[in-house]
Amino acid sequence: MIRRFLFGMMAVLVIAASASAAEPIPFTVDSLAKIKAQYAGRPFILNLWSVNECSYCIAELTLLGKLAKTQKRLPLVLVATDSPEFAPAMQKTLSPLGLAGVDSWVFDDPIPERLRHAIDPSWYGELPRTYLYDARHQRETIVGVLGEQRLRAWLEKNRLAN
Amino acid sequence: MGQIILATLLAAMLAYWPVSAMEHQHDVKPRQAQSALAVGAALDDSGRLWLARVENQQLWVSRSDDGGRRFSPPVAVSSQPEDIAADAENRPKIAVARDGTVLLTWSQSLPQKYAGNVRFARSTDGGRSFSTPMTLNDDGRIGSHRFESLAIDGAGRVAVVWLDGRDRDAVREKGGAFAGSSVYLAQSADNGAHFNANRKLTEHTCECCRTSLAWTAEGPVALWRNMYGTNTRDFALANLDTGKMDRATDDEWQIDACPHHGGGLAVDSHGALHLVWFTQGKTRQGLFYKRIAGGRESSPMALGDPAAQAGHATVAAAGSMVLIAWREFDGRAYVARAMHSTDGGASWSTPLRLAESGGAADYPLPLTDGKQALVVWNSATEGVRVLLLDVGNAK
Repeated sequence: MIRRFLFGMMAVLVIAASASAAEPIPFTVDSLAKIKAQYAGRPFILNLWSVNECSYCIAELTLLGKLAKTQKRLPLVLVATDSPEFAPAMQKTLSPLGLAGVDSWVFDDPIPERLRHAIDPSWYGELPRTYLYDARHQRETIVGVLGEQRLRAWLEKNRLAN
Repeated sequence: MGQIILATLLAAMLAYWPVSAMEHQHDVKPRQAQSALAVGAALDDSGRLWLARVENQQLWVSRSDDGGRRFSPPVAVSSQPEDIAADAENRPKIAVARDGTVLLTWSQSLPQKYAGNVRFARSTDGGRSFSTPMTLNDDGRIGSHRFESLAIDGAGRVAVVWLDGRDRDAVREKGGAFAGSSVYLAQSADNGAHFNANRKLTEHTCECCRTSLAWTAEGPVALWRNMYGTNTRDFALANLDTGKMDRATDDEWQIDACPHHGGGLAVDSHGALHLVWFTQGKTRQGLFYKRIAGGRESSPMALGDPAAQAGHATVAAAGSMVLIAWREFDGRAYVARAMHSTDGGASWSTPLRLAESGGAADYPLPLTDGKQALVVWNSATEGVRVLLLDVGNAK
């Protein structure tokens, strides 16, 4: 009985741990290079969002969260353009959307233009914005909300669909 | 060059900011998310420079009688601290009427996401004390009331416009869909002693770009990023008195996203409107200026270096003087740039590189009273700088 109880407790703890998002990693000028190295030879989705000033981002993250539930290894990298102080708010937003365990970064530079330039010199800060990197790291840019059809087509093309 | 005189670095002013030991943890938004660098500034009829800035959840007002070299000790507008939006396109606004009344508006951030109140206070004793701040949005709901702008005619009339989420919230509560936000306004005829009930100007506007307001001979005129069709986010102009509304730009920027990048509006003494705005539309991309006078408008003139992310321009005008300032990032530091016209926007000076900052910085704020032309620029490292432009003998 006690063993069953402890087992139950452990299960609850495991669920609790996986439901709370990991601390976002500070995103600096060389972070994209690191991300690309991590995904060397593999496709990935780089999604830019803001917890503070972007209602459209939530719609997009909802779609990504829905997809993450069925795609066991969705190669998704989230970068918030807020600042590290927003980490708790980010986690609070991502967890209920099922994006708690996703690779999550947050802008960490007093000059966000420097980071925007490192990602894409033609980006003025509009959100949301998504880059779909193929295995050779050629990328497609999506300005505004990413449509489900387009994302599914990309997953299909890159042999990531279930 | 001698063209720019760096008037002052207000280190002395910093000594006046009281240090607050208060720790206040907040649910959604951290208190010091971005330092509150965005300032408000105005020139009064005597050419004195007024400054409103946010520090420790307070709005502080000070005045310079010598073109920004020295400022009076800042006076707190309110005894009650509150979260005041003062970053990116949110800044406190200050205006001074001819009888000396100092008027202030700002957006108060609430803990709920995207929620805020448009706030107002005034001083009738030359900035020595201020009225208890009041909330202008009168719907009594916790919702989005933000990105306000303020204009006065100087003789008692006051207009405030802002982006308001009440219509969207009402429709969504009934399960409906509502695109964008609305523009609401409040007006006063007695320098802000009383305000009329809120009035709706329009529905379906972009949600997160600053608004702009200028007082013309025909009354207050507002500029905001509107939504045309499903999501074409071009600018609209409207006279608040007549309600006449016109599409101001034809950039065809179709985007279901938040540009966080609005436009600016000023009127000169001859009644010409001066517009600055940003777009990534089909028709044009970048930062632009045009003038509208007597039913005719100039073709859009590109501003700044797109490779340096030139953006967030503001325009000021008085007499025949028009002054535009914007910010660039040159790969190493932020740069404040400005250009001016002494013939009502017909011809322009070459853009000047006014100053730079290696850290976080506000967008530069141009001011002119028709004689002097100056740019107020706040940055984390350098503090508030008042940059005077040599404009020769302005006509």
